[in-house]
Amino acid sequence: MIIHVIELYTLISYLITFVSALVVALLLKLPLLPERPMRDSWTISALFPTSIIALGLLAIFLQLNVTGFYNGWDVAVIVGVFSAFFSRYLLEDVFPKFEMEESYE
Amino acid sequence: MNELLGVAIAAVISWINFVVIDTWMGLPESPGVKGAEFIARDVKKRGGDLSGGFFQGNIVCSPDASAGTLLGAICCFLIGIPQGGFIAALLVFVGNRLCADPGYAGTIGALSITFIILAGSLVGLTPEMFVVGMVIAIVTIQGLHHQSASRLLGKIAQKLGRYSKLA
Repeated sequence: MIIHVIELYTLISYLITFVSALVVALLLKLPLLPERPMRDSWTISALFPTSIIALGLLAIFLQLNVTGFYNGWDVAVIVGVFSAFFSRYLLEDVFPKFEMEESYE
Repeated sequence: MNELLGVAIAAVISWINFVVIDTWMGLPESPGVKGAEFIARDVKKRGGDLSGGFFQGNIVCSPDASAGTLLGAICCFLIGIPQGGFIAALLVFVGNRLCADPGYAGTIGALSITFIILAGSLVGLTPEMFVVGMVIAIVTIQGLHHQSASRLLGKIAQKLGRYSKLA
């Protein structure tokens, strides 16, 4: 039973970080989705990669037992906000866009 | 569940997972980098299909849904479900960006296999079965017969409307 409650808290943490990353990214004027066709788009959006970064970072923190004061929920909010700011201001510098050569098109 | 049966089922599920996601994400359409084009031209020269060759070349040259599926299964085995899958998705995204790839196929592959493993655990399929199954699935594409595999991948690309316009 204890294990089940802890798992529920963890799942809620993932939900919180996903929502907080999404909301802050939208407030920072990132689009919700990349433009179509999405598979060729390098546009940074709220859903991809902001939420992926938030979920991955939170999983690392929780796995390292960094759970904060409120069952990981406070860490989830901080990670979500950080991911949104990282995606908005730093991601393109850390992982620059690749310019496709004309011969491949 | 019997281990061999579990591995066989996991191999089939993993194969469908990564081939459908990679095809849908346009891997057979064009080579992402020069290495992928060299592989595809060589496969075609040996009697294979160019579009299937692009698929094979692309999954060699950057972590797409195949790597996402494999890494997702390994991380779920080592770390747990679902946190392993989320960490795998982040690592695959970083790997994709380092390989000049937007990263959609790899991350979707890692996340989808996480949910598949989660569902599979209800019927006795374990993450280690998916690790072995995924290795077998990749061997069928890259390790047995390039020409036949590329022709099959080309037909799947045609069905999903992702066949290459390059000649």
